[in-house]
Amino acid sequence: MFNRNRTAILAAVILTAAFLLCVWLRMKYTWKPVWAHGTRGWRLTYDISFSFTKGDKIQIAIPDSTPQNRLWRETFSHEGILLDLLRNKRTKGRGASAVSMPGHERGRFFAQFDIHLRPDHQSKLPASEEKMSANDRAYYLRNEKYIQTTGPELSNILKQLSNQKITKTELLNHIFDYCAENIAKGQKDTFSDATNTLEHIVGSTLGRARAMAALCRASKIPARLVAGFILENNQQAKVHYWVEVFAQKNWQAYDPENGYSVQLPITFLPVSRDSIDIVRGIKALGYQSRFSISQMLPPPSLASSQERRLWNIFDLTRLPPSMQEIVSLILLLPLAALITTIFRNIIGIQTIGTFTPGLIALSFIHADWHTGAIVFVIVLCVGILARIILNKLQLLMVARLSIILTLAVLCMVLAVAVLDYLSLTPSASAVVLPIVILTMMIERFNIIAEEDGLPNALKIFALTIFVAASCFLVMKVDWFGRTALIFPEVHLLNIAILILIGRYSGYRLSEIWRFRDVTQTPLN
Amino acid sequence: MVRLSKSSFWSWPSVLRRNGIMGINSRNINLIFPLNPRSHYAVVDNKALTKKLCESQLIPAPETYALIQHFGDIKKSIDLLFSLPGFVIKPTRGAGGRGVLAIANRKGDEFQNAKGELFPLEQIKYHISTILSGLYSLSGHPDQAMIEKLIKPHPAFNELTVAGTPDIRIVLYKTTPIMGMLRLPTKASRGRANLHQGAVGVGIDLETGITRGGVWRDRSFDIHPDTGAYIQGVVIPNWNNVLKTAMQLSRAIGLQYVGVDVLLDAEDGPLVLEANARPGLSIQIANRCGIRTRLNEINIKQGLSRLS
Repeated sequence: MFNRNRTAILAAVILTAAFLLCVWLRMKYTWKPVWAHGTRGWRLTYDISFSFTKGDKIQIAIPDSTPQNRLWRETFSHEGILLDLLRNKRTKGRGASAVSMPGHERGRFFAQFDIHLRPDHQSKLPASEEKMSANDRAYYLRNEKYIQTTGPELSNILKQLSNQKITKTELLNHIFDYCAENIAKGQKDTFSDATNTLEHIVGSTLGRARAMAALCRASKIPARLVAGFILENNQQAKVHYWVEVFAQKNWQAYDPENGYSVQLPITFLPVSRDSIDIVRGIKALGYQSRFSISQMLPPPSLASSQERRLWNIFDLTRLPPSMQEIVSLILLLPLAALITTIFRNIIGIQTIGTFTPGLIALSFIHADWHTGAIVFVIVLCVGILARIILNKLQLLMVARLSIILTLAVLCMVLAVAVLDYLSLTPSASAVVLPIVILTMMIERFNIIAEEDGLPNALKIFALTIFVAASCFLVMKVDWFGRTALIFPEVHLLNIAILILIGRYSGYRLSEIWRFRDVTQTPLN
Repeated sequence: MVRLSKSSFWSWPSVLRRNGIMGINSRNINLIFPLNPRSHYAVVDNKALTKKLCESQLIPAPETYALIQHFGDIKKSIDLLFSLPGFVIKPTRGAGGRGVLAIANRKGDEFQNAKGELFPLEQIKYHISTILSGLYSLSGHPDQAMIEKLIKPHPAFNELTVAGTPDIRIVLYKTTPIMGMLRLPTKASRGRANLHQGAVGVGIDLETGITRGGVWRDRSFDIHPDTGAYIQGVVIPNWNNVLKTAMQLSRAIGLQYVGVDVLLDAEDGPLVLEANARPGLSIQIANRCGIRTRLNEINIKQGLSRLS
């Protein structure tokens, strides 16, 4: 006869074996360091401390992956500030936006970026053509305080450089040659704006870069300044500046200081475009920054990712850091499901909805949980009240649910706005609650309250929150997310455990309490 | 409140096991999954289908006056309603007694329930239309409304009735009754006979049809929580017919583990109210006895292996 329990155990054993096999294969194949020639890794460290005045908002430019430099890991830590990661609309550059936490006068931002250089990617550079809108074009041709596109000296030089009929490319080369060779390298405190550099034919790194940008812009070639780092071992790394010019439908890099044109060595890591400051404050502020760069060995898994092998698909650590974050969050959801299953089937706790606790916990993982909790409670209270009032109208279910959903959305948005107004939530990333889940929760709460009484509904509600909090505390442990990212096959083990729980026919923990009177009360 | 037990806070699993107590996991895995095929649920989950089955098998059930399936039928049923002395309107797929409206009387053009509240015809029509649109079916699907004869509660339970109508739950395993319970609505259950809503369950001796101790909110109870009346020692009238009715239905319905709810009408005797494919487990507390013990007695009689 077909024995379900035995089959279930067999399935669990097979899944466990499959899990172990996957781990073994992973260790054997993807973790073997097979270094391609010239593979290098660098760690760029930011250490910035600020002293705030009220209402200060700081933007810190941070590196991003480029075709040759792959950012494969980044860690942030900070004190006294609330942090948000943003992306600039025009330059697509990444930045960290920081505001002071209430009651903090000093703040510190510490970040590590691990960058993997891929020399072989250089030759394969796709010549992707970019289009520049008229708006952007005008923007990159603009006259700036330090990149002055007018002036007698500038006109003279341009006249000299373009005395014969030449193409724009030739003109660009002339401009670059002029800035790289004719303008002398000055000390640090020499001129750093375009007009003075061109006038005195001497300038700092910044001055020469600005001079080149000004000459380009005056010749109607869009240009911008780039601030970045040159990757080499350096405990006190200085910010380096170069120019990017939009020519042949592409941004090309020029470094007048070192004489590189069109393409820079891969050790040049751009960080901030069109703005020369790595740290920008909207208001004046005092800050100290220290950047250091050190060479490191990238992990073996990166080495193998050099080559395109099919099993690389299973190596999630190859994904860009931002995607890794999302993937590891998704991979945590089955863990929450497992916790909920244990609570329901083994402990015997009732919850509203099967996945509600896990999804609530998930939405709190990356939010500031104090704010999240306040908004959560407000949305629930308003929703439940609204549901009670709606009940009097006796609306059909779909319409009723949609109204509650709408109210929950309005309420959440309003709550966020009010918290922001009271400066209780300075961070925009505060709360995106799972509205649909909340709506169903409100609906279920009311149905239970109606059918089984309010005390029962409150009890089940409290238990749901308890299970959600347990899921949250477990999911909050970084180790689980990281492990699931490195070994996604761990979920085979998860399925094995769920199969065993699914065939568990013993008592639930709550039942030794529920049925205590059966065995302890004599029957008269 | 009188609590007879001086129990400790829990019973060890080994003690529960020795007493043959069945837990929810075991009920689902060992009884419901293997014994109750999903395809048979349609009949249990729809009162109209259950009723049809009863009629075809000559199993006594409250007389159905009309089944309203479409909004257009509501108008046609009005003449019928005026010709009836009393009736019950209920959704065929409602759960937990929701959407049930019992009319006992008529005063001129208005209808009156047992408490004396008046319902104008318009309100009755509106109630039927909300049933049809699925307001009371949990899934929200469109439903049908059943109009059936109003039960006259048997006087034997008068002392134990504060609200609603008591009914008798019989749990059957392979068409043999294994446990019975009288379910008494309370104020807390708001007239409904569901235990998890706060009704009292009173264990019944299957041989004699005499009640013994009871259960309220999962605790053993020997009195009615609202009236304080003793709930044991009540003789269920017509007991053998109650069992017979339940057995007939369980045979017809094709589920091997089923709870049948039977009403006792003062004139018509036992009438089938509905069947339940997942009967609750509190009946064990009411009877101070585990279901597994009873199952195994039957298994041994039939030469089957014992349920572990």
